[in-house]
Amino acid sequence: MENMAKIVFGFYTLIILGGSLVAVGAKSLVRAMVGLIATLLGVAGMYMLLNAQFMALMQILIYVGAVCVLIFFAIMLTRADAGGEEAASAPLRQNLLALTAVLSVGGILGWLVLTRPLATTGVPVEVSIEKLGLGLLGPYGLAFELISVVLLVSMAGAVLLAWERRNGK
Amino acid sequence: MNAIPAELLRIIIGLVAIAVSVGLIGLVMVWVERKVAGHIQRRPGPYEVGPNGLIQPLCDALKLVGKQLFMPKGADPILFWLAPVLAFLPVLLLFLPLPVGDGLQTLDVNLGLLLILAFSGLAVLSVLLAGWASNNKYGLLGAARGVAQAVAYEIPLLLSVLAVSFVAGSLDLAHVVKLQGTWPWNWNIMTQPLAFLIYIVSALGETNRAPFDLPEAESELTAGFHTEYSGMGFGLFFLAEYANMVVVCSVATALFLGGWHGPVLPGPVWFVLKVSALMLLMVFVRWTYPRVRFDQLLVINWKWLLPLAVANLLLTAFFVKLAQFA
Repeated sequence: MENMAKIVFGFYTLIILGGSLVAVGAKSLVRAMVGLIATLLGVAGMYMLLNAQFMALMQILIYVGAVCVLIFFAIMLTRADAGGEEAASAPLRQNLLALTAVLSVGGILGWLVLTRPLATTGVPVEVSIEKLGLGLLGPYGLAFELISVVLLVSMAGAVLLAWERRNGK
Repeated sequence: MNAIPAELLRIIIGLVAIAVSVGLIGLVMVWVERKVAGHIQRRPGPYEVGPNGLIQPLCDALKLVGKQLFMPKGADPILFWLAPVLAFLPVLLLFLPLPVGDGLQTLDVNLGLLLILAFSGLAVLSVLLAGWASNNKYGLLGAARGVAQAVAYEIPLLLSVLAVSFVAGSLDLAHVVKLQGTWPWNWNIMTQPLAFLIYIVSALGETNRAPFDLPEAESELTAGFHTEYSGMGFGLFFLAEYANMVVVCSVATALFLGGWHGPVLPGPVWFVLKVSALMLLMVFVRWTYPRVRFDQLLVINWKWLLPLAVANLLLTAFFVKLAQFA
């Protein structure tokens, strides 16, 4: 059973990594989005492996079913042919910055995983939706609210980006 | 050698049964649709091949399988062929948690309803990819309509389903069915008539059936998102549409119409009867109502279905809470 779990874990990891590589590297925006969808499905699989079925299904319902469809809508409203401005390779400075970002996050997470002892090795227990809801409104209220702040920041960022572009023209 | 686990065996048998029944349902529904369309338009429909034209869909299917597969110039080959597969594969998954009878379901999960809702979202993506990858303006227009429609109609659908699961306190289809009784006045449709209406209308929108078949409106967009598909590429979209209809009607049966409950006859028979009645209703609606305009489609959703569904959900939540105190 444990070996099975390891094989499945490897499989999902491959999907996530492959999907994200396509999402970052594809020349056409729509292909990049398909890569993103693969990544999100892989993450949903990881949740399934953690016995968090509700999270897995919500991941698919919200991210694949709604967010990706909206991204597609945005792509369709722009002229996003394969030879567009996104298709050109990025300048060196941008690549370096991207590498720094990846290394800093990956470094911290990797360091944490390698130095801290495992919290648990048991088979995960499924948490009922009722408990989940009570937890989000009770003891984990702060984390719940912080997530909404993240969403607000990303929305404000999107508006800001669009604004600067428009003023620049 | 170890014995095969019972759960795995159940899923394999279920998947085979699902694959067979999807194929059969496709054939039968094509015949029913053409017959109903014929009689509504005062012509006999197919009647040459077999008794009453019963063999006609089989011949059509064989013709479809034998056709050459084309891909338009300048299309994206990977996405173009991914789309029909993506349309059809999740459908098999959608059948897994459907409770046909008491204990007669392939996958007994406590989040079955959520599973169906989550994976039915992939159907929209296939419409989008098909329209985009075809490198055809009709395809692209169909896809653009598909997004706007699917995003809009998914919300009232979810809200109406939620109202029922509030009352039942569960997202498990079998559990929702168990709470209902034998006779029609024990079914959820009596307590949630508005939710049922909203569900049926938005289900028509979600499955791209007339009067909401704008993504493939043949009088405006040739065939919409699947204009460029030939042979089984089109066949898969076609099968997926009928299979989606069955899933939508089965969920409606389980949630609102008492599922396998019914007097005298055994449970699965009642389930199939109710699903067939709903399917027939969808076919009748298709051939009696004209296609709505796109702005009308959005008005129906955003100005009528959505506020009604929200009001219904709030009222339901209020009464559920009231019942808990009482």
